[in-house]
Amino acid sequence: MSQIEFHNVTKRYDNGTEALNGVSLSFEEGSMTFLTGHSGAGKSTFLRLLLRLDVPTRGQILVNGVNVVQLPESRIPAYRQHMGAVFQDHHLLAQRSVYDNVAVPLRVTGMIERDVARRVRAALSRVGLLEKERLLPRHLSTGEQQRVGIARAVVNRPRVLLADEPTGNLDPELSRDIMRLFEQFQEVGTTVIIASHERELIEAMAKPIVELSQGTLTPPTAEEDGQAQLESH
Amino acid sequence: MDKRSSKVTDPWASGARGGVAALRGRMRRWGRDHRRVAGESLLYVSARLGASLLVWLLIGIALALPGGLYLLQTNLVRMTQGWEGRPGISVYFQANAQAQLAKALRDELSGDPSIERVTLVTADQALAEFQQFAGISDALAHLSGNPLPASLRIVLRDSAEADAFDLMATRLRARTGVEEVSIEKTWLQRVQAMTGLVRRLGVVLALTFSVGAILVTATSVRLAIESRLEELRVMKLVGATNPYIRRPFLYFGLFYGLGGGVAGAMLISAVLLIVEAPLASLLGSYGADVQLAGLNLGFFVGLLALGGALGVCGALLAARQRLSGLQVI
Repeated sequence: MSQIEFHNVTKRYDNGTEALNGVSLSFEEGSMTFLTGHSGAGKSTFLRLLLRLDVPTRGQILVNGVNVVQLPESRIPAYRQHMGAVFQDHHLLAQRSVYDNVAVPLRVTGMIERDVARRVRAALSRVGLLEKERLLPRHLSTGEQQRVGIARAVVNRPRVLLADEPTGNLDPELSRDIMRLFEQFQEVGTTVIIASHERELIEAMAKPIVELSQGTLTPPTAEEDGQAQLESH
Repeated sequence: MDKRSSKVTDPWASGARGGVAALRGRMRRWGRDHRRVAGESLLYVSARLGASLLVWLLIGIALALPGGLYLLQTNLVRMTQGWEGRPGISVYFQANAQAQLAKALRDELSGDPSIERVTLVTADQALAEFQQFAGISDALAHLSGNPLPASLRIVLRDSAEADAFDLMATRLRARTGVEEVSIEKTWLQRVQAMTGLVRRLGVVLALTFSVGAILVTATSVRLAIESRLEELRVMKLVGATNPYIRRPFLYFGLFYGLGGGVAGAMLISAVLLIVEAPLASLLGSYGADVQLAGLNLGFFVGLLALGGALGVCGALLAARQRLSGLQVI
């Protein structure tokens, strides 16, 4: 059984737009996969459905064997506590320090402050920002802000790490650094799924690539055929 | 970092399962979070003192008006109960009626459970009192006889309704030798009517101003929510529960309400300070010896509790309106 399975998932928005159409796909635990495709291909919708920020119009999404589509509202917070998410525009809290931004996922679980401090510093150390923990996000560069976002996403030690265009605002060198950082989390067992349209960058990473086009999967090329397994649909 | 176990589990179910130890752990976390959020909320409210003072004052006024009316009503009730000049019925006998008739009626009425006391004033006693108070003893000395009749002064119990006076008067008028029955109920009726009016006015004002206090708190809390929307979205994204997200705002409401209760108590105290002396003087002129009901500890605690409850209601209203369906990202 794969860790994440999409079975014939379709998402149609109220305005009639069909963001995903019968997508079936699975991800093994500890894998790192890139979702690619043009703008509007359905990459963000795919991640939103996986984060349970939205529900599909049709189909099943199994995570560790549980259909998250039917997850009751009361269990969604606990589900999200096990998912890390990174976004292109970071979504950092402007009035909170780097430390406090990274601490948010831990505090919502009611963790005692001593443990929060230990875990936050470990995460910041991992992304190389420990010495900047007291600064506000606006005092950081864009790349550093993205690293704070990553630290916040991994501080809770999620089993799945999702990233939506995490290098969208970064120059090529910084983008490679960020990708290598994701790779490090994959190496310790985290399942990483990254949505990105930067074809050159993701091909350089030599990881499985899943391409979406107008809400449907396009068949993989020989190089892309890796851990992500397309199923018939 | 070590490679994680590949065992497949349903990790987000862990919060809903577990034994006593898990429950204790959750309770500890819950208590710890309440303490932290209460502290942060208090800081938030006190850091915006100008805005908070306005909210406290508005809620204080909303609480002070019905609270003040409640105190007024309490004092009116005490006044009617405690006043020695409490009204009753005076029974005047015919001038030629035998003294035995008055005594017999007094003895009979003394056994009536609705009557607190009956006092017989004989014709001689009435004349003596008249002479003493009127200061016309010389003129009275020229009269051939005593023109004043014997009378009974009947005081009904506190629980007696105004209608009881009429019933008793009708009964007494039918008795042999009774010339006239006078009911002294006007004052009681007025005070009782006023007490009823004050009570109803208090209820109406309490309801109206409670709604006002809830709306004031809801508006203030809504502003606080709006100023932290981005933070709330991130919290939802990382798995905060709805109660966790609502919690700081409920504390805002509680602190606004408690502050409003204190402001209301201060307003009532100020009014009491201003009106106490003239009110005591007014009551004194009626011969009343009434201890005014003021702002005691019970009333103060009640005002705080009411303020706090209204504040939390307002906060709940705002949180429910603004946070339900909040788009995460």
